Amino acid sequence: MKQDFTLEIHSDNNFSVINRIVNILNRRRVRIKKLIAHENEDDFKRGVAVLLLHTTEDMMEKVKHQLEKLIEVENAIYYEGSSLYCELSAKHSIQEV
Amino acid sequence: MDALLTKTKPAAEAEIQPKQKISGSEVLLRSLVAEGVDVIFGYPGGAIMPVYDALYHYADKLNHILVRHEQGAIHAAQGYARVSGRPGVVFATSGPGATNLVTGLADALIDSTPVVCITGQVFAHLLGTDAFQETDVVNTTIPVTKWNVQVAEAKDIATAVAKAFYVAKTGRPGPVLIDITKNAQNEMIEEAAHVKCEGIRTYKPRPMLQAAQVDRAAELINEAKRPYILAGQGILLSGASKELVAFSEKTGIPVACTLLGLGAFPTNHPNYVGFLGMHGNYGPNVNTNECDVLIGIGMRFDDRVTGNVNKYAKQAKIVHIDIDKAEINKIIRTEAFVHADAKEALQALTKACQSNKHTEWVDSFHKLNDIEFDRVIHKEFNPTGKITMGEVINHLSTLTNGEAIVVTDVGQHQMVTSRYYQYKSPRTNVTSGGAGTMGFALPAAMGAKMAIPTQQVVAVIGDGGYQMTVQELGTIMQYNIAVKILVLNNNFLGMVRQWQQLFHGKRYSFTEMTNPDFVKLAQAYSIPARKVEEREDLQGALKEMLDSKTSYFLEVVVGKEDNVFPMVPAGAAVSDILLEAPPGK
Repeated sequence: MKQDFTLEIHSDNNFSVINRIVNILNRRRVRIKKLIAHENEDDFKRGVAVLLLHTTEDMMEKVKHQLEKLIEVENAIYYEGSSLYCELSAKHSIQEV
Repeated sequence: MDALLTKTKPAAEAEIQPKQKISGSEVLLRSLVAEGVDVIFGYPGGAIMPVYDALYHYADKLNHILVRHEQGAIHAAQGYARVSGRPGVVFATSGPGATNLVTGLADALIDSTPVVCITGQVFAHLLGTDAFQETDVVNTTIPVTKWNVQVAEAKDIATAVAKAFYVAKTGRPGPVLIDITKNAQNEMIEEAAHVKCEGIRTYKPRPMLQAAQVDRAAELINEAKRPYILAGQGILLSGASKELVAFSEKTGIPVACTLLGLGAFPTNHPNYVGFLGMHGNYGPNVNTNECDVLIGIGMRFDDRVTGNVNKYAKQAKIVHIDIDKAEINKIIRTEAFVHADAKEALQALTKACQSNKHTEWVDSFHKLNDIEFDRVIHKEFNPTGKITMGEVINHLSTLTNGEAIVVTDVGQHQMVTSRYYQYKSPRTNVTSGGAGTMGFALPAAMGAKMAIPTQQVVAVIGDGGYQMTVQELGTIMQYNIAVKILVLNNNFLGMVRQWQQLFHGKRYSFTEMTNPDFVKLAQAYSIPARKVEEREDLQGALKEMLDSKTSYFLEVVVGKEDNVFPMVPAGAAVSDILLEAPPGK
């Protein structure tokens, strides 16, 4: 059954990394409801993306491993539901203030 | 005395001297040499001209092979990599030069082949302006590379090259691409020693073997009454063939090979039970749905192996061993898995598993294969009508003692070669598996021969695929690459025609081909050539081809509407494999 998942991806920050992430999700036809990405304030070579996705848990687990295969991606962590999306987005935004 | 002869400067003075400046292009070539590159397959153009200008002075270190099309370059690099284990290297220019690599990149990615492509790009200040021959190569190739990067400053070239080679050959190997802007190629920077990449913060190519995973897998294997190993290319990439033999011999477990796994286990070993998949052997397919523990090693449960996934080995507990975590549970739900390099996992499992014999179980495969021999293979090898593909490959296998490197294209000839060539050693089977790229074989065979010139290399190709990259005959001629080209000609796109016959009411929609005089075509490139239509001439012609010291072209005319059987029809269970066409088809 499809439901909302909040996905937090820690990665290197370069010109193509968002495209790489979105490419994996597009290829699996995973619906992206929201996406926010931040450069790390302390180290501009790193970044975080937070996505709100609508898909099945089985698909979520599979794309997590495919995302973690990307050379630039350190880890991809997902949580059930959308409640954490705002919290994580805000947390990473605060670093920029 | 020494000081007088060499006039060595005092250290302090030497340090003050400015380092010599070299171009970004020369940095690239020095880095390639430092990474152990000896051969480059490439094609020049406007945006990579500074690199080619520098290459002019590196002819003694880097053997550049000028192909006739960039697709030929990358397939040649794939062939080079597949037989040698070393990354193949490609040069191409921007725009169409780079986009012509896309098919090869996709092929190398799905078949886990280490390839490093260097593409020229327009000046950095022109990026995004639709300049002449400007294409967004990085974004175009993201889906078909393991990693890619654009370099716009000369200082980043050496690091990019080091990282590219590290990524291409570690973990599950794959293709990488470095796109270098023209200004970076021209820019002069201080020379520095090339430093090889030894790690990347976000990339963990070699997972640590987990004892708990090994123990769980061993527990299932020890309890099994009818265990069965499916060996994939991961065995070859890991160099684990000996470990697989040792594991199979200790546990008594039968082994079948996937298309890319052929050569991972000796075909003359008593535990070898055949070739898996849609046109694989009868025993391995039928017994997939009879085994109680199925052990997939370095393979990815491709749909050509599983048939209908919903009817695949439902009775069995699945153990999956793979270095790529994303492959585990991707297609088939596992009972146990070992996320590790195949060699390491097999060594640990061999220690953890008990000695055993499964004689009756192994015999059951051979009995099923005997049925296939009587109903399919015997007829294929002893036909009464036109020459069959099967008898050609059977003779080729006998004449080469199963020791040649055999490069196949895609289609009926590929399946027949995979079924009947008796591969004995790792890295002797080169084919396009996951992508199924027609046009692969001729350039890939060139690359294989460049990598191991002492080895007999035979490209087996259909008449359709041959014409997709036939322009590489020019490369073979120019560099005297002694590949043997065996075209099995049925004047049809045979595999598509077979499907049209079986599943589309014999409506042969645009699959029949009017071909040129292939012998004259080869001779136009100064390649000795012969055509065989009669059975009595076949063995002599094959021998003449194999004995030739130079490249050689042999066309064998085979039955126009011959089919490849056995066959698992699309959507069927692997155990419903057909030994012949259903009545009325």
